[in-house]
Amino acid sequence: MSPAAPRPARAPTALAAQRWAGSLAAASAFLACTASGDLGLSLSAVFFGSIFGASFFGRRAAHRLPWAWNALLIAALLFLVAQFTAGRVDLVLAAARFVALLLIHRLWNRVTLRDEVLLLLLSLLLLCGGAALSAELAFGLAFVAFAVSATWALVLLHLRSEIESGRSAESAQALLASRRLATPGLLLALGLLAMAGLAGSALVFFTFPRVSIGGFRRATGNRVAGLSDRIDLGGQGVISDDPRVVLRVRLPGAARGDLDWHWRARTLELWTGRGWRARAVPGRPVQRLPRRLQPEGRRAEVLRAEIEGVSGISDGVLLTPEGWPIAVEFVRPLTARANDVPRLLRDDAGDLHFSPVEIGDLTYSVTFDRRRDALVDLRGKGRDYPREVASSLIVPRLDPRILALSEELTKGRDPADAANRIERWLSGNLKYTRDLGAGSEDPLADFLFVRREGHCELFATAMVLLLRAGGVPARAVTGYYGGKLTDAGYYAVRAGDAHSWVEVYFPGFGFVPFDPTPPSERGSKLEGLWAKTVLVWDAVAARWRALVIDYDLVSQGRLLKSVLAAVAGAAKRFAGKSSTARSFRVPWLRLSALLFLIALLPGARLLRRWLKARLPSNLAADQRRAVRLWRDARAALVRAGLKVPVGLTAREVARLASSLGLPAQAAAARLAARYLEARWGGRSLLEGEARGLLRDLRRSF
Amino acid sequence: MTSAVAVKPISVPSMPRLRRLFRQQRKLKFTRVGRWYCGLSIGIGLAAINTGNNLLFLVLGLMLSSIVVSGVLSEIALRGLEVERTLPATASAGAESLVGLRASNSKKRASSFSLELREEGGDLVGRAYLLLLAAGESHEVAYRFTPARRGLHRLGAIVVATRWPFGLFEKSRQLERPDELVVFPRRVPPPAAQREAAGRVGERPSGRAGHGTELHALRDHRAGEDVRTVHWRSSARAGKLIGVEHEHERRRQVCVALDHRHLSGPVLERAVERAAALVERELNAGADVSLALCGATLPARSGASHLTALLTALALVKSAPNAPGPLSPAGAATFFVGAGEQT
Repeated sequence: MSPAAPRPARAPTALAAQRWAGSLAAASAFLACTASGDLGLSLSAVFFGSIFGASFFGRRAAHRLPWAWNALLIAALLFLVAQFTAGRVDLVLAAARFVALLLIHRLWNRVTLRDEVLLLLLSLLLLCGGAALSAELAFGLAFVAFAVSATWALVLLHLRSEIESGRSAESAQALLASRRLATPGLLLALGLLAMAGLAGSALVFFTFPRVSIGGFRRATGNRVAGLSDRIDLGGQGVISDDPRVVLRVRLPGAARGDLDWHWRARTLELWTGRGWRARAVPGRPVQRLPRRLQPEGRRAEVLRAEIEGVSGISDGVLLTPEGWPIAVEFVRPLTARANDVPRLLRDDAGDLHFSPVEIGDLTYSVTFDRRRDALVDLRGKGRDYPREVASSLIVPRLDPRILALSEELTKGRDPADAANRIERWLSGNLKYTRDLGAGSEDPLADFLFVRREGHCELFATAMVLLLRAGGVPARAVTGYYGGKLTDAGYYAVRAGDAHSWVEVYFPGFGFVPFDPTPPSERGSKLEGLWAKTVLVWDAVAARWRALVIDYDLVSQGRLLKSVLAAVAGAAKRFAGKSSTARSFRVPWLRLSALLFLIALLPGARLLRRWLKARLPSNLAADQRRAVRLWRDARAALVRAGLKVPVGLTAREVARLASSLGLPAQAAAARLAARYLEARWGGRSLLEGEARGLLRDLRRSF
Repeated sequence: MTSAVAVKPISVPSMPRLRRLFRQQRKLKFTRVGRWYCGLSIGIGLAAINTGNNLLFLVLGLMLSSIVVSGVLSEIALRGLEVERTLPATASAGAESLVGLRASNSKKRASSFSLELREEGGDLVGRAYLLLLAAGESHEVAYRFTPARRGLHRLGAIVVATRWPFGLFEKSRQLERPDELVVFPRRVPPPAAQREAAGRVGERPSGRAGHGTELHALRDHRAGEDVRTVHWRSSARAGKLIGVEHEHERRRQVCVALDHRHLSGPVLERAVERAAALVERELNAGADVSLALCGATLPARSGASHLTALLTALALVKSAPNAPGPLSPAGAATFFVGAGEQT
């Protein structure tokens, strides 16, 4: 049986691998930049089209029509400058777009090594643009991809450069066409190398002092979803469950399952005829929030929630957990510039806001009293309402059936009982659905008497208007309901948890929340694979944000503290003592010994190098003997007073001895000849002969 | 009896020695791409500090760690390398020669990539490139060089350099490999016209017994001599064993005499080249050739080693105005080479 023929290598050619690695690095940098969503769809389409187009037709198209490319780039530059001057785009975005265009140009025009170097350079610039434009986790993933692909590209480019510089064009082409160079093994090893680079990057990242000058910087603001200041009940279609996370909530010291909390955003109390809208009254800055009136015998249930709001979800409205907010403290962003410090605002409806709105992602903690007002406490407070709640008593023109229903549910009842009755009637007699139906002239009447099913806004609207028709002040409130406990340890409130409920006014208590939507139907029902994937992504994104985006001097101080504490703890364990005085002293002694040992390492290294130089290990026995012989002979000549400059060959030393007329010249010449023969000429040199030569030399002095 | 007392200097580690011991064994220099890379790193670092943008710090971290990784890998590539030079057996001025460089990687696991071996500090300029030298393996590469002049060429160190892995820096290590190479004179065609004149002095009988082909004498055969030397016809005539003695044939004796007392520059070079061409031609023709120089004479011999010795002597010839003139041995056909043509 004949031996099997060698399998053809499956690896790409060295040149193809280098070009692909460069393209991959460029694509990763572009992805990092486009993660912000600012670059635009058209530019993204052109870029990725160029990546693939240039891979197949780039050779033919390279360096053709240079005047057209120049005209195009100059036009793009002028256009971007005009946009920047007009304030349509900021400088970073304009620069990033132009670099992306330069990258596209280079993708179509890459032939020489210089082109490839420029491609990588532009990719790096685009990555930096991405760092300024985006703070998303997608940037992190693109960054890792860039680290790996740029490592491949740089190494393969270096090899290509070495191959092309030292050979003829034909020879270089033949080697670059080899499939034995860019093997999967090499690429894997380089991938591991990139991982080492990333580890080093993390080390530099965490240890580099975060002392910011605070000059030019770009405000971030990546909006995910928004809470509208109005409700329109006349919509059609189906409300979709959006699994994107809008709030990340941590409850220190509280271990519980999923939350069934309302997250209050804003009040909508003005009826528009087909829905609600908020009062357009700006909030006023407040230092302290009003205190809650505590009924006799009721104790406050104070909790604290640390809330991270995804940028842009609330248009400046501060979401607070169900209950009475006592204090709000902003955690991030922290900045040295006073104008960027968020301020707390409160409007007449009691809604909380922050300013400036475009501050980006906001982390704050809310201390709140979560105690629910019992129905018994709310009874008997009368109907003596202040003027401030007059707008919550306005009854629009309603279907007579609604008025009749209101009378049926509220007449002769205390406002607390009336509110309770309406809440129970609605949640018990009507069904919840996300289907908005086909649209109707009077969505409320249609909901109450025809379809008898609807979504939370219809439930809330019905309760508000039924109460108002009965003379009880009420208003609609929007926000979120729920809180899914994630594996990362925080509660995720998602866009699909958007909810609407009701607040009813009671003298002495203020507005008290009621929710007529059936409890089992509140919030979203996001349990599918996609929803879980989004939660996992969000957990990683939250970790990314905490570890990378929000890492600052304070975090650095904390990290240093924890490292020092860990070292101190380890030292204590090392000492095996718990009493403070001795355990403090003994670890230091041992630590000093350890440091001394570490300091010895370079010395040991030097000693090893010295010994290695004395006893070269890669030589044959005869060669080693020759080296030793010459070293000893040289030392003997020096001791005899001959000045031997460094770098002189054995033959030259012998000639020097001869020219000086030393008595040892003959012996030195013999020794040098034998040394050269044994060291370089492949001749043998016996130990006895070497000793004899050295003896002759010494005797001849 | 008198005895000389040798005063030995006290051996104290000198400062240069200590400096050498602690000296950094590597040289590092930026490549063009490396200069751009470092400039960009500084720019990004400033931007990161200015804006406080953590992602820029991340990019900066990647760039700085790449520099560190590059330094570590290039160090690994250079460690455990031993390079030995193999000089050509002969080298003539103006003729291309190959110098071999044998690199050995004594590391147990780590391969060395992208190595450039080059001459430094000597009279030779050459470089060779090794893409990969696997752990524990040796590989020989060569570079071509064409010596421009004859004479002694000193070789200094061999520099092992690498720009691995990213081509940002070149790290090099210098291995002291001092050596010498004697480059023979430029090879020129021998002067054909003079050959016939010398031909008259060809191989001839020397007048004494030897191992030639001509008959020298008949004498009594001695016991123990080869029976093939018996001259049977004479033996039959004389009634005893008569043996044959053959003539000893001596090689043609030629002397090339170079008078370089008053020669210098291109004239000297041309004379040396002519002498070398004559030496080579006569040795190839089977003559015993001696070389007479001003102040030195190399005795007549033949063979390849003698050719090397004569060419070496010619390679080292310098102008010697005060030296005595060349002395040619008696009985040898002498070619005098001087400023003009040889005689």
